[in-house]
Amino acid sequence: MSLFKNLTAALVLMLALLVGLPTHAQRVLLHAEVANDTVYTSFGPNRAFFNHLYVGYLPVVGRAAAGAKLNYSNSAELMLGVRNKFRLNEPLSAGVDLRFVRQVYGLDQTSQKRLPTPALHYRESLVASQWQLEGFVRVNVGHRGNVIGRYLDLTGWGGWVMSTAHRYEDRPGTGAKRVKVVEHGLPYITRWPYGVGARLGSGRFAAVGRYRLSDTFTSTYRTSYPELPRWTVGVELGWL
Amino acid sequence: MLALLLGYLDCIPLLVISLLYLLSRVQVVVLLLLLGTTSQAAGPPPTRRYWVELRDKVGVEFEPAAYFHPAAQARRQRQHLPPADATDFPVSPSYLRAVQAHADTVLFVSRWFNAVACRATVAQAAVLATLPGVRQIVELPEVALLPARQLTEATFARAGDKTTISVADRQLARQQTRTLGADAFRRAGLDGRGLRIAIFDVGFNGADRHPAFRQLFAEKKVVASYDFVRQTTNVFHGGTHGLEVLSCLAGRLPDGTLLGMAPGAEYLLARTERMNREVYTEELDWLAAVEWADRNGADIINSSLGYTSRRYFPEDMNGRTSLVARAAELAVRKGILVVNAAGNDGDNDEWRTIGTPADGDSVLAVGGVNPDTGLHLDFSAYGPSASRRLKPNVAAFGTVLAASPGGYSRIDGTSFASPLVAGFAACAWQLQRTLPVMALFTEIEQSASLYPYYDYAHGYGIPQAAVVLRNSSGQRAPEQTPKVSFVPQDSALAVIIRPEADRPVVVQRLPLYADSANNKADSAPARVAPLGREDARPTQAEGQSPAATSTPAAPGFPPLPAAGYLYWHVADAKGVLRRYEVMEVSQRAILRIPRRTLRPGDVVRVFYQGTTHSYLVR
Repeated sequence: MSLFKNLTAALVLMLALLVGLPTHAQRVLLHAEVANDTVYTSFGPNRAFFNHLYVGYLPVVGRAAAGAKLNYSNSAELMLGVRNKFRLNEPLSAGVDLRFVRQVYGLDQTSQKRLPTPALHYRESLVASQWQLEGFVRVNVGHRGNVIGRYLDLTGWGGWVMSTAHRYEDRPGTGAKRVKVVEHGLPYITRWPYGVGARLGSGRFAAVGRYRLSDTFTSTYRTSYPELPRWTVGVELGWL
Repeated sequence: MLALLLGYLDCIPLLVISLLYLLSRVQVVVLLLLLGTTSQAAGPPPTRRYWVELRDKVGVEFEPAAYFHPAAQARRQRQHLPPADATDFPVSPSYLRAVQAHADTVLFVSRWFNAVACRATVAQAAVLATLPGVRQIVELPEVALLPARQLTEATFARAGDKTTISVADRQLARQQTRTLGADAFRRAGLDGRGLRIAIFDVGFNGADRHPAFRQLFAEKKVVASYDFVRQTTNVFHGGTHGLEVLSCLAGRLPDGTLLGMAPGAEYLLARTERMNREVYTEELDWLAAVEWADRNGADIINSSLGYTSRRYFPEDMNGRTSLVARAAELAVRKGILVVNAAGNDGDNDEWRTIGTPADGDSVLAVGGVNPDTGLHLDFSAYGPSASRRLKPNVAAFGTVLAASPGGYSRIDGTSFASPLVAGFAACAWQLQRTLPVMALFTEIEQSASLYPYYDYAHGYGIPQAAVVLRNSSGQRAPEQTPKVSFVPQDSALAVIIRPEADRPVVVQRLPLYADSANNKADSAPARVAPLGREDARPTQAEGQSPAATSTPAAPGFPPLPAAGYLYWHVADAKGVLRRYEVMEVSQRAILRIPRRTLRPGDVVRVFYQGTTHSYLVR
């Protein structure tokens, strides 16, 4: 109780002091701290550090082996990531990307099909959702201000497949019009993909090519399943 | 190999489109959707622009009298400069031939920088770099130089009827020159006659037909023009920014009211910017124009342009980095006064400070002030330069009434403050024709309304014709009585307005503290201004701008800065400011600066009612 009284008294005293203090407020029409006006930021497209979001769409390219023919219209990587770039000097930077990639291989329905089973469906795909980490070295050309400019990136990446799915759709003549089946947790898709790539960019736009060094399938299934195309080539759009 | 590869980066869309042949319809649609926003990357040029610096001018002959216009020769004579120096000599013909043989196209040959701007492929550039006469080769940017203009909503609102000039606009038109002392110059018969002013801009579309310039063209005051974009002498096309700028030098309202201060000067009009829906130009055109202006005898160059973030960083704004800043400095060395708008990035958090070439030490950078308040306009770029020199140097109205297509418009931008000061400079130089260019530069600064006080928003303030006239006639400045006292205290340095600092503009005594205005003891004569001087009190009603309620200044005193403002700054021993403020005076105890924020050697300066007071911190 006495503590409460003491606190109340202190509060009253503080209020009285505040009310009693002469106010020296003047109307400031213009105020400038020169240090603030001339502080040179370290964050920016051509500053010590820069990061930004980006999206990318990289269709799968390259020849698929017999037994694993692809439907290329439905085979691509769609990615959303954040890019962190550290400037080393005017032409040279290095950086790290963290991105989410949804990788889809649309499987062509042919009589030689073996992947993942010889059964034919109306539509079928293998989907892998993965997180990828990519390191890159960037070479820029030309003197520039605080802009991205034109560049070449050489990259190396590795990922963790967080989920896999085998999707197929059937259209039986009787009963339901469409039957869709999704199998999760595929044991035959490798969990730790990795590869290399290159990126040619200008400002927010870039053309990207990536080559997967790791195999698609785990060692147990590698002999029975033909390898899928390793190349993806497409574009990235940066959100600067 | 890598350079070659990167040289073709613009081919990205082509590479991607070729890929489309390999892809199916759905992928094509998705890719095209992504590429739909990639308009920037379209149209890959096969060549790039390069700046080829040559080694020397050995064996080159030059006849100044044949090359320079008589006005240019006269300017050099007046300023005791040699008829020509090495920078005026043409580049070596043999070096030039070698560059022409290995480049795709030669764009411009610069005598001043002994360099050739050309278009070349990456491979050609590699060969050019190995030529014996080539010192170095630098790729030039393909970026924009933006005019320092901001069109206000009011501008667009008036676009429908620009021939009717409101009372407020007519008043603004008079004030924009009157605050500089145009009346005094006019009474002295000074209107820029005998001077040549070059204007670099985006185009002067319609200027030759606009009624604002009827007299100018009738008197054949536009003596030369050149479009450095199209390589023609016709500049009356492209943008209208130049028309607006020209009007702030030599335009007239239908009733004869002058919009600028130099209707008697001769003009060289240069179109140095490209129009591409928006207004564009490049450093190279600016450089070509400055050499052209020098050759044609320009005394003053007005450039309402500025480079900022596409090519440079704020820390590059030191007057030595950009090509245009170096060219501007060289122009000054040849006796030309270069007046440049400070820029309109004051409210741009990513830039905020001046652009280039306003960053040049010898370039007179002009900031913009609000006609209503006399204070810095938010958009007017701040100083200092990256080398910590004072910028902007002076200020003028950043909101003006200018000629525009179809009539007259109120326009905001330091673009228009710059020609106002250029016109002022023309009159000042007409008065003292033999003054060297940097002496004129200093005189303009010293004539300004805040001088010797300065800050990085207003520079030295608004130049005053009366001061120039007084100085030229050898009269001494009137004795200034101290207006404030510095009172060192234990923890602070207090600044108190002296009771006797009671000017005719003050109608009420100032209380020592505003909150004690009703306190009898505080309003005692011993502590406040003497009784009986009941002039206007420099405060304003709520919701009104300070100048709107301030009493008109007494004759002989400039209306700006307002009598009720107190300017103060803290400068280090080198004069570089750390902090500055403008305050509205509402009590005599105006300021308390904590001691902990001051360092030995610092100088606190206070400007109040025309007098600058200094206090050296020990």
